[in-house]
Amino acid sequence: MRGLVVLYDARCGFCVRCRQWLEAEPKFLPLEFLAAGSSASRARFPTLPAPEEAPEELVVVDDEGGLYYGAEAWIICLYALRDYREWSVRLARPALRPLARVAFEWLSRNRKSLSRRLGLAPEEELVTMLKPMSPSLCDLDAKRSLSDVLGGFFR
Amino acid sequence: MPTVGAEYVIGSYVAYLAASVCLTIWVARTLHRNGRVFLVDAFGGNEALADSVNHLLVVGFYLINIGYVALALKNGNKPWDMATAIEVFSTKIGWVLLVLGAMHFFNLYVFSRMRRRGLLQYAPPPVAPVGRV
Repeated sequence: MRGLVVLYDARCGFCVRCRQWLEAEPKFLPLEFLAAGSSASRARFPTLPAPEEAPEELVVVDDEGGLYYGAEAWIICLYALRDYREWSVRLARPALRPLARVAFEWLSRNRKSLSRRLGLAPEEELVTMLKPMSPSLCDLDAKRSLSDVLGGFFR
Repeated sequence: MPTVGAEYVIGSYVAYLAASVCLTIWVARTLHRNGRVFLVDAFGGNEALADSVNHLLVVGFYLINIGYVALALKNGNKPWDMATAIEVFSTKIGWVLLVLGAMHFFNLYVFSRMRRRGLLQYAPPPVAPVGRV
């Protein structure tokens, strides 16, 4: 195994936060992220069943075409991380796997309400929120001269 | 309360210090010699790094043990004859041996943990794929 493609729900703030966390962690295997159900992910994996509404669970595809769903997908993501590989091995053991499955299923099921409670808005929502605030509100020339001043200061 | 025999006190202190420092050196050297193989394996054959970590661990081992030995010097009863001197010496050396043993096993645990973490790099995936794309 030389890399993983993670198909995550880009409409959920909690999932986007998880993606950022995964991106920031030191890794054994490179991770590539695609929004589930997006045109990019459909073009890449045409045989995957397209989720019509919100995708129900995390999907991971390895470089050999192996598919992982739900808890197994979470575990394989942890396996890719340098500091959490030990945990992935631990969680995959028969003693802990049922517990991991319950926990990850709970997270998947409640990701929308979790995002709301943690105040994590997905990227799409942020874009629609920021769109009405047009840049004409502030003077572009003033902004440019300010950036020149700051640039000179830090140079 | 029996009178304290100063010569027995000094004698037992000197014997205690000499014996416990010798024991500490012996355990530390054993650890240093035999722990190296573990560490070289843990650090993927990087011998320079393994030697450096090994040396640092042994320094920590010396500091903790000799520190304990020094602090425990005045603990316990003062001997007043040969028999009590031997008792006091034996009790103190017993404690030093137990502390050394605990530290030794703790070090072994650290070594094996480092090795396990090092080997994780080559661990196979813990879960099998449920399907193919």
